Amino acid sequence: MNKITLIIALSILCFTAGAQNVFITKDAKIIFNSSTPLEDIVAESNQATTVIDIEKNVVKFSVLTTSFKFRRALMEEHFNENYMESAKFPKASFTGKIVTPVDWKSDKSIIADITGTLTMHGVSSEVTVKAKITPGKSKIAASAEFKVTPEAFNIPIPSAVRDKIAKEVTIKIDAVYAPFQQLP
Amino acid sequence: MTKKKTIRLVLWIFLIGLIAAFGSIYYVFNMPRRNVSGENAIYSLQAKQLISDFRNDETIATKKYLDQAIAVTGEIKSIRTLDNHSMVISLEDAMEGVSCTVDSADVVKYGTQLSAVKIGINATFKGRCSGMLMDIQVINCVPQ
Repeated sequence: MNKITLIIALSILCFTAGAQNVFITKDAKIIFNSSTPLEDIVAESNQATTVIDIEKNVVKFSVLTTSFKFRRALMEEHFNENYMESAKFPKASFTGKIVTPVDWKSDKSIIADITGTLTMHGVSSEVTVKAKITPGKSKIAASAEFKVTPEAFNIPIPSAVRDKIAKEVTIKIDAVYAPFQQLP
Repeated sequence: MTKKKTIRLVLWIFLIGLIAAFGSIYYVFNMPRRNVSGENAIYSLQAKQLISDFRNDETIATKKYLDQAIAVTGEIKSIRTLDNHSMVISLEDAMEGVSCTVDSADVVKYGTQLSAVKIGINATFKGRCSGMLMDIQVINCVPQ
């Protein structure tokens, strides 16, 4: 075996060995809700990519802001152009550590604290999220719900529409992870 | 013109203006979603080219392609159906290639064309580029 083949074989081995701790999905669901009695403002994206490393207890999330779908096209336009400024900041992301110890070998659901940095609209902010995690050998399910304020991410809401948009935006997350190498 | 006639005329103009104003507000409020399938693709390119453009410089590529109607051609590496019945077809690489999402309504509308979509064949999808995560995402896709 020549050297190059050996190096390639070794790196593949290292990669797959490392990858056993990594679970991934590219179809995580994020629901964004800032409804008030005056206006229903709900958006959904089914295209968040997220990775969970069960050895390091690290979770990473990212989503393209233009992938959110609203009830009205006009809402989508306002969301992307006026509030999120998607052309300038196309992604929102989260990197966090699972603080509560999780027994990844069990298959019982656990409510765990995840602390990390949420970045959107070019602003990073520390958040702690309570997530329900259901470990498993072939898949891991996770869901979470938390609130953020537009002001924390430097997203100004014009006073004319202030009453129509909730002061706190609820973000709901649903993800089912598969082992890294098994994604079809 | 008598005074009565002038008042009448003003009232008519006012009424027409009012209808036009309400009409345009109603239209803007309920404007249809952008339909990329009816647009000409600004860029028609190989998925490999799109991938290398984004890998070389994501910022420049994002500026160039974001929100543009593009037609991407490449080898199908994976086909998935999501919970909301939309379909995701990955070109060139299942993980880090180009992911084309066909909305559930279009999955029905283009059913015959999509049934021919198989792993390993070459296909072209037209949609709106929404940027790169691990893969480059093209949304609101229709098969070509």
